[in-house]
Amino acid sequence: MKAEDIRMEKLRRIEDVIKGKEPDRVPVMGATAVWHGSYAGYTTHEVLFDYAKCKDAWLKVARDFDFDTFTVIAGLEGMIYTIALLEQPEMSSAARFILGSTHLALGDVYSRWPGYELDKNAHPQFIGKEIMKANEYDQLIENPLEFINKVAMPRINKKLCNPGSAEYNAALAKYGAELAKFGAFMADVSMELAKIGYPTVPMAWGYAPLDLIGDFLRDIKNVVMDLYRIGDKVKQAVEAVKPLILRAASCSAPPKEIRKPVFGTEIVECFFPLHLNEYLNPKLYNEFYWPALNEIFKEVVNMGLTPFVLFEGRHDAHLETLLEAPKGKVVGVFEKTDPRKVREVLGNHVILVSGPTNSLLIGGTPQKVEEFMKKLLEDCKEGGMMIWPGVDGGLSRDAKPENVKAMLSAVKKYGKY
Amino acid sequence: MNLREEFVEKLADLEESKVIELTKRRIESKENPFAILEDIRKATNIIGKRFEEGRYFVSDLIMAGEILKQVMEILKPLLGEKKAESKGKVVIGSVEGDVHDIGKNIVIALLEAEGFEVVDLGVDQPPKTFVEAIKQHKPQVVGLSGLLTEAIESMKKTIDEIKEAGLRNKVKIIVGGGRTSEEVKQYTGADDWADDAAIGVKKIKALVGVS
Repeated sequence: MKAEDIRMEKLRRIEDVIKGKEPDRVPVMGATAVWHGSYAGYTTHEVLFDYAKCKDAWLKVARDFDFDTFTVIAGLEGMIYTIALLEQPEMSSAARFILGSTHLALGDVYSRWPGYELDKNAHPQFIGKEIMKANEYDQLIENPLEFINKVAMPRINKKLCNPGSAEYNAALAKYGAELAKFGAFMADVSMELAKIGYPTVPMAWGYAPLDLIGDFLRDIKNVVMDLYRIGDKVKQAVEAVKPLILRAASCSAPPKEIRKPVFGTEIVECFFPLHLNEYLNPKLYNEFYWPALNEIFKEVVNMGLTPFVLFEGRHDAHLETLLEAPKGKVVGVFEKTDPRKVREVLGNHVILVSGPTNSLLIGGTPQKVEEFMKKLLEDCKEGGMMIWPGVDGGLSRDAKPENVKAMLSAVKKYGKY
Repeated sequence: MNLREEFVEKLADLEESKVIELTKRRIESKENPFAILEDIRKATNIIGKRFEEGRYFVSDLIMAGEILKQVMEILKPLLGEKKAESKGKVVIGSVEGDVHDIGKNIVIALLEAEGFEVVDLGVDQPPKTFVEAIKQHKPQVVGLSGLLTEAIESMKKTIDEIKEAGLRNKVKIIVGGGRTSEEVKQYTGADDWADDAAIGVKKIKALVGVS
């Protein structure tokens, strides 16, 4: 089969599931930050800071394994940059993740990187920091975009702490250049992937409003305590940042007219990694987290985008709320909630994504992986589903290649319709 | 309801300002600080139970940890050199390559409130730090914490080095973090595992042999 036919076949598989149909077999969407590097013999530092090595490793994995898509997410959470740069849409979308190179350019206080703050083979980590004080909620609520740019950005980025200084101007120029380099790199890899039969499903960027406040402004622990102490302020802040997230989702999606010609599909996945969902008890979840998030889901669906949601941790206690989301329009990757339970509670209301955990891919054997996959597919594939290997955060650096291979062969064996 | 019962109830219900007020009232009335400590343990037990029953979530544990920290700060100067009887000693740290610590810190707050002596090694700690800490502090339990899936390999390496140092039979080891599982326990050679803080504390108590 020609590469172009293979690419379209893989793309159809994903499209079918998202449209609520059963394809020829269950598709597998591979994603990782560093596993491609360890597979190709590079350190995590090398694949995160050297685009040539990253591309080499990325394509090697794509050639050696038969995923339906294979995405390298080479950065850490950085949605606050997308929001800050909303007035400059092309930059805004490219700024979605903190990259190794942009960490060096701006000196953000959130993240730690291999070869710098960490060992050269460690995974990069987002640690976060209290950027906004509890008594600054009013300022955020009053004008969130201005607050994020004028107050938060100089605190987040050590090299932007003195606006107008030589260091500040140089840092911004460097940042812009690094984003352009990253954009060119991603476009280049996407074309190379197409040549070997891999599709790229376009992405747009969403976020839960409370996560935006917790991850980037107040820090997780503080925002949790704020809910108990100054809940009204938090609620107002959630409402204040919500329109910014909608703007970000809208302007990060590729324009309608280019979707089909460039990507071969009308589908755009709008990415939502949820963080506080597992932390919150149902009362707090239903008061501060879910209503605003679900409004965003609805708006995003109206924009013609497909929310692609990572339900991190255990989402069991909040599953039923998803019945309020637009039916059959939201893709859900469930990290620790049993997919059978998802089916039982939600049926086909949410498009189910599940897969083996990294602990199985690291510590298990090909035989154990096959058994796991057989059971998962037999129990859950009816009506359409997708597999996301390393369901807890994407393929881990230490996932054993033979176990990943076993996962893929099991899908071909037990995932057919 | 008397003052002691009210204190336990308000603490278990996470009513921050009320708990602080009651703590101060009890101290002003010259109550034995060890009685307050005993009530803190009672309340912590209730909080742990509520978590197990699915009534409390991580957010509640974070709030509990914060209230406990404030109460302990008020209480510490009054306890002086005299120590409450220790339930056991635990050495805990985030393993090499992992700088996350929210889960570890909740476990520490709950363990201390329960009356454990805890040695916190901090984050991103190489195996040798754990080996040295076992030699120096002679804990009953060692807790290896980590959020990343990459921490699994570090946990294994740490336990391997504890074995090589001839210390494996001197301590019980628990691995903890959102991505740990029965599989991870077996792969790393730990005695137990916990993917949430309250269960972790319960399992540490079981490993020490106290309830």
